[in-house]
Amino acid sequence: MKNIIVKANAGALTNFEVLDLLNSRGASKDTTRVIASETVSRSEYKVYDYLMETAASTQTRESVTKFSDKCKDFRLAKAEILNIINLRPSSDVELTPILEKPDEREIDIEGILALVQELLPPLPTVEAQKENEQEETENDEQS
Amino acid sequence: MFCLSELEDTVRVPPDLLKLPLEVAIKKVLQKLFLDKVLSIGLCVSIYDIKSAEGGFVLPGDGAPTYKVVFIIVVFRPFVGEVIAARFKESDSNGLRLTLGFFEDIYVPAPLIPRPNRCEPDPCNRNQMRWVWIFEEQEYIIDDSYQINFRVENISYPPVPTERAEDGAIDDDGLGPVSWWEGCSERNNEDDDT
Repeated sequence: MKNIIVKANAGALTNFEVLDLLNSRGASKDTTRVIASETVSRSEYKVYDYLMETAASTQTRESVTKFSDKCKDFRLAKAEILNIINLRPSSDVELTPILEKPDEREIDIEGILALVQELLPPLPTVEAQKENEQEETENDEQS
Repeated sequence: MFCLSELEDTVRVPPDLLKLPLEVAIKKVLQKLFLDKVLSIGLCVSIYDIKSAEGGFVLPGDGAPTYKVVFIIVVFRPFVGEVIAARFKESDSNGLRLTLGFFEDIYVPAPLIPRPNRCEPDPCNRNQMRWVWIFEEQEYIIDDSYQINFRVENISYPPVPTERAEDGAIDDDGLGPVSWWEGCSERNNEDDDT
């Protein structure tokens, strides 16, 4: 059966929006998952499980919308804003791989991190995490 | 990571589903056809909405009506340069393999693992090799104890897309699935071993 693709890209979705969609269909952390199995398939549940471990699981529609609005001041590309919402970087070392050529564009890294801290809820893991500063992005020169 | 795509297709609704409301029946057929399958636009994750369904003609010799359906699906299609959080799955001398749970074909080839590094046989698992990053005289073992952030470098699709009848994760298909090459930026979420 040949499909005809009408529009390959009809809109990008943040992880939060996909999680929200699955939630509205009845996906939940309930281990038996019997109730929702009519509306949520096993493969959809795999996506749900993945997303529940990411920043998306603590976000709200309001915080995500507010954040992307405020991002306009920082002259970021749409893809970068999406990435930041999905990953919720909390340090310079987490944010820089997301940005393209940050040095040439004079991006206010501190400002963006402050905005993330202010508007986006923290990640879902329970125990305190110690950030390890020794991170290396493969394609950049070692700074 | 995810986006919406609009598709149009002819869908045959088997007679045993006709007791359901039409939209539900069509959705079930679409799910069987598309969910968890890799299309040229990405991995179909969910049926988002049915925009229109028309037709319902029964072809001669067939007991089932066929509809022309326009619908929207959610696809997993990262873009080059995107940073994604994944978990370690396995490694060998060619590099690492990472997984997202619903998608398991993420490969980090050896040249893109942080250097300096070394590769040694894994003491816990005889078939695997273990990669170790050496930084400032500290050694960091790359294994499944922490999350790995990686950046998408390249996306390749199977050369001959064929339709598979069975359901299942795409890594079972044996199609030479989508493989992503990426730079590996490690995120240690727990204290390092000293």
